[in-house]
Amino acid sequence: MFEQFTDVVPSFFGWLNQGPLTLTIFLHTFIILPMFWIYSQEKKRLEQEK
Amino acid sequence: MANKSVWSDNRFWQRTAAWVTGFASILLIWLTFDTSAQISMGNDADLKNGVTKRVPGPTVINYKISYEMSTKRGHEVPYIGGNDGKGGSLFKEKEKFFGRDDYSEKEAGDLLHLGKLGSQAKNCMDCHTLMGNGAYYAPDLTKAWLDPAWGPEGSMQAVTGKSTKEEAMAEFLQHPELYPTHARMMPNLGITAQEAKGLVAFLKHLSSIDTNGFPRNFGKIQGALNGK
Repeated sequence: MFEQFTDVVPSFFGWLNQGPLTLTIFLHTFIILPMFWIYSQEKKRLEQEK
Repeated sequence: MANKSVWSDNRFWQRTAAWVTGFASILLIWLTFDTSAQISMGNDADLKNGVTKRVPGPTVINYKISYEMSTKRGHEVPYIGGNDGKGGSLFKEKEKFFGRDDYSEKEAGDLLHLGKLGSQAKNCMDCHTLMGNGAYYAPDLTKAWLDPAWGPEGSMQAVTGKSTKEEAMAEFLQHPELYPTHARMMPNLGITAQEAKGLVAFLKHLSSIDTNGFPRNFGKIQGALNGK
């Protein structure tokens, strides 16, 4: 999944985009993980309101 | 009172939307600056000092440019002034462009500027593709300079009666109707000799840009419209 960086100009996104799916998995992780946190917070709040 | 699900709760969706929008905005701003560093043009000093830039300086027209398979990167890479054998350009081997290999930064820059304006004025992209922009009615010009058809082994020098790549290309650009290469003949666009020189310089510089192997399979597809 992670391969040696071979692009001409080093960059974080260049490195992330070296293998198939690496950029996609990274972005989905960063977008979806906080959603679990938001979910649990909202759940707690709803339970307290009840 | 029935249990209220988080999934039907407004605040959950509001906060999720805010997070996704905010994250995406920051990401796009970051990518914008990341890209500008990638596409900024090098200069003559970079070429002389052997600094590899994705977009080399205009004086790259003084150098020999070759296109070779890089096993490390898995695609073809333009090498400027020879291959150093370690996956990089050597920046040593020069190549005469219209009889000279000592264009100053100003002269080369002016030629490229003329060529770029020419390519826009004559609407090359109506038929051709440059760096992924344009049409596929006529051959992709991104790596046109490296097309073997224009080289010493190719047919275009003999067809146009010229002995160098740049002269053959310039001659073709001025009188394309005299050299029909295939059924989709290029029309005569009234390109002058000086404009043709600029256009060829522009195409040579364009070919020296490292496009991460785009267009794929350049020079490998035989018999296709873009097959060289």
